[in-house]
Amino acid sequence: MGRYLIRRTLFLVLVLFIVSLLTFLIFVKLPAGDPARRAVGRSTTPEQIEAARQAFGLDKPIYVQYARFAKGLIPWPGLFLTEDVYYSYGNFVAVKEEIYRRLPVTITLAVGAAVIWLAMGVPIGIISAVRKGSVWDRAGMVFALIGVSMPVFWLGQLLLYFFWFKLGWAPSSGLEIGDTIWQSIAKGKFILPWITLAFTSAAFYARMVRGNLIETMNEDYIRTARAKGLAEKRVIYKHGLRGALTPVVTMLGLDIGLLLGGAFITETLFGLPGIGQLAVTSIGTNDFPMVMGVTVLGAFFIAVANLVVDVVYAFLDPRVRYT
Amino acid sequence: MNRTWRVIALVAVLGLVGAACGGDEDTGADTTTSAAPSGDLSGGTLKLAQTADVDVAFDPTRSYYSVTWQYYRCCLLRTMMSFNGKPTEEGGAEARPDLAAAEPEVSADGLTWTFSIKPGINYAPPFDDVAITANDFITALKRTANPKTNVGGYSFYYSVIEGFDDYGDGKADEISGLTAVDDQTLEVTLTAPAGDLPYRFTMPATAPIPPLDGGEFGVATGHDKDYGRFLVASGPYMFKGSEALDFSVPAKDQEPVAGYVPGRSIELVRNPSWSADTDELRLAYPDEITTEIGGDNDDLYNKVEQGAIDLVVDGVVPPEKLRAYQTDPDLQNRLKVYPADGVYYVSFNLAMPPFDDVHVRKAFNWIFDKEGFRQLRGGETTGELAGHNIINAVTGNINAEYDPYATPNGAGDVEKAKEEMAQSKYDNDGDGVCDDPACEGILTMTDREDPYPKQAALMQQFLEPIGISLDVKELERTVMYNKCNDMNEQVAFCAGPGWFKDYADGYTFGNPLFTSDGLWESCCNYSGLGASADQLSEWGYDATEVPSVDDKADECTAATGDERVQCWAELDQQLMEEVVPWVPYLFFNQVDLLSPNLTNYSFDQSAGIAAFDQLALVGEGNLTSG
Repeated sequence: MGRYLIRRTLFLVLVLFIVSLLTFLIFVKLPAGDPARRAVGRSTTPEQIEAARQAFGLDKPIYVQYARFAKGLIPWPGLFLTEDVYYSYGNFVAVKEEIYRRLPVTITLAVGAAVIWLAMGVPIGIISAVRKGSVWDRAGMVFALIGVSMPVFWLGQLLLYFFWFKLGWAPSSGLEIGDTIWQSIAKGKFILPWITLAFTSAAFYARMVRGNLIETMNEDYIRTARAKGLAEKRVIYKHGLRGALTPVVTMLGLDIGLLLGGAFITETLFGLPGIGQLAVTSIGTNDFPMVMGVTVLGAFFIAVANLVVDVVYAFLDPRVRYT
Repeated sequence: MNRTWRVIALVAVLGLVGAACGGDEDTGADTTTSAAPSGDLSGGTLKLAQTADVDVAFDPTRSYYSVTWQYYRCCLLRTMMSFNGKPTEEGGAEARPDLAAAEPEVSADGLTWTFSIKPGINYAPPFDDVAITANDFITALKRTANPKTNVGGYSFYYSVIEGFDDYGDGKADEISGLTAVDDQTLEVTLTAPAGDLPYRFTMPATAPIPPLDGGEFGVATGHDKDYGRFLVASGPYMFKGSEALDFSVPAKDQEPVAGYVPGRSIELVRNPSWSADTDELRLAYPDEITTEIGGDNDDLYNKVEQGAIDLVVDGVVPPEKLRAYQTDPDLQNRLKVYPADGVYYVSFNLAMPPFDDVHVRKAFNWIFDKEGFRQLRGGETTGELAGHNIINAVTGNINAEYDPYATPNGAGDVEKAKEEMAQSKYDNDGDGVCDDPACEGILTMTDREDPYPKQAALMQQFLEPIGISLDVKELERTVMYNKCNDMNEQVAFCAGPGWFKDYADGYTFGNPLFTSDGLWESCCNYSGLGASADQLSEWGYDATEVPSVDDKADECTAATGDERVQCWAELDQQLMEEVVPWVPYLFFNQVDLLSPNLTNYSFDQSAGIAAFDQLALVGEGNLTSG
């Protein structure tokens, strides 16, 4: 297990290295125009452009340029997202400060949505599988079809329009100025974003749980359990579900990791000041220090989630052994 | 100029308003000037929203964006001269004394200007016991001259002050042309006459900065990048939490104001130091002004309709909303349309074939489907078809009816274009169709955002009859401007620019856009007008000369009063008929939608958007919406 973790951690570092390198190339080197000029804006003198070039190290060989950015991604005091490189020229704030300020919003959105989609998707999947071919199964799968067919940007606007604008049942978009995350949750500001984000995933999870459970229930060990005379509920919930939910845990880990990197559309649509909204704004303004920070953070969450999922797998499925 | 393209970004996507604005001349909007309702309008919280943040986090030296400037003018910063927050017809384009006690006195040669400053005006907390003095203006201008602190700003407007550039270059410890005769008198010495100097002292970079012991730039010392978050106000409002600013500790240890969270929110509260008795320009009705930043454009306008917010500062009114507010008599007074004092145009590089031939440039002007371009932006409401280069507001409407290339319905005239092309050296057989390779695949830069790609496609269609084809490159906006700015890039045709006035004077159009002063990598003379033979050679052009209007522009810059206005109007005509560096196609509008909570709307012509300080809230003083 120890060796496995070390190997996976080294792999995680490799992934982050590749992501940071690609991000650097895509957002700093590939776009048309001089990055130093992009950084200082239009109305600037050649001297100011040159000063920006030196400040960002863009006058150095490309590997040195990358090294300056890469050094700031090392999670170590004094190195991590240092302000000399990781300073937003869009918002004129330290990248670190901005990310820390926005992370709670994104975490709240991701975790809340995950709770909802699990609460919806897993029971629907189980009912559909257990009562395969019944009205419940068909209803569940119609829900799943509708859910996976609705794009988030459309569903979010639809929910806002009807439940806030027309009916006034839900609060409007955005967080009220000065409110903490807890106050915003208490005011219901996350309800529509959670539902928007959760709906598609709930539908997907329902289909996945249904498929897995039906497949598991045909396994030999399930037949054995039944042959032993175990109650059907016990067969389903203790033996069948355990096997059927293992892939769900994998997906959940990856999905949450993905969302922690920013739910771009939902945050933008609902005016939530999270990491996703920050990423969209930063890419739009070519704010490459911010883009680097946000992208690598997103990759970090996904990679860590992947690692956690793999470790948790062993506890859920005794057949999995780490070597 | 940053402010220009960002303002254009606001208005650019007005293309969405399309279907709502058919061919009728009547836009259905309320453009009447707003008579102030009677009663006390004070009180309440004005709730604003923005789709994007202000620029450079409120740093007044660097900010070049009309939205940020509105916060300064209405609320945060008083300047030597300023504006009254009204439209042109109510004097909104005139620079008026603000911190100045009266109009400045100018010497006979136009080189020495003396400003007297109102006494006893103090800064906002924590400097509420500190009076504004002449030295504080010098501090602000030093910061404006400093290349580390003026990045992206407009220091070029102040190079005319004696010793300004030397100070910026580190050759002098002081700006020799700025003298604090006493606390209440500032003397400004210029190297050449500049009749618009009062306007230049309306700009936020000149707003006084409180002194701080040992600090070259007063309290802004050490805040090269982020002074906006530590801003000490002088207007009727300040950032919430300003009183907690502590300048006694090193800059890096200071905590920024709580009332501005970049990318998220702005909260302004009343400045207890401000008194209406010393300020004739600001009404300051709301007790507080809050702005939420970010969100979906259409959703924000739904919030306006519901009254959850009062005004979207930088949004684009959705087509269905525009239609509803144009046609419903009950809603029409909540739709406001005003000329934003900007122009959209396409620009020729006069050092490159085929645009080195004036007949080709004229042929473009004749064939140009301006109405088609306007329709792609959304039609009538988006603005007025442009018949000349310089906006009417800065040329006293002298050229209001002037259009040397007028065509029926603004749709272009192929025959006249062919007549013009037939006279060009690029039409060898004289049939009105260019038959030279120079007319094929002309390198064209445009903005990648809507509606520019559609405009480029339309242009390809209507240019075909005169034998022109374009090689269009769609680029991110800043990159496009950078390429068009830089003559080294040899961009033949720039199809995506727009320009917005910095202040209501022809200088802000004439000088940067059409003279050799605008020929540097980050500015704005895309045509190369006034370039010398050496410059052309250095940039790699075969051409050895291009037209110049430098002399005429210099004449206008030095002039004052009516003579100055007339001069800029004449320059505009000379450009249209003799030089022809552009095809101007639209003088664009600002469109605002008001919540039912608002009354006393006033369009601030100086910034080209609503005047926040003049807006009042219904229910405060028993008013009704209007």
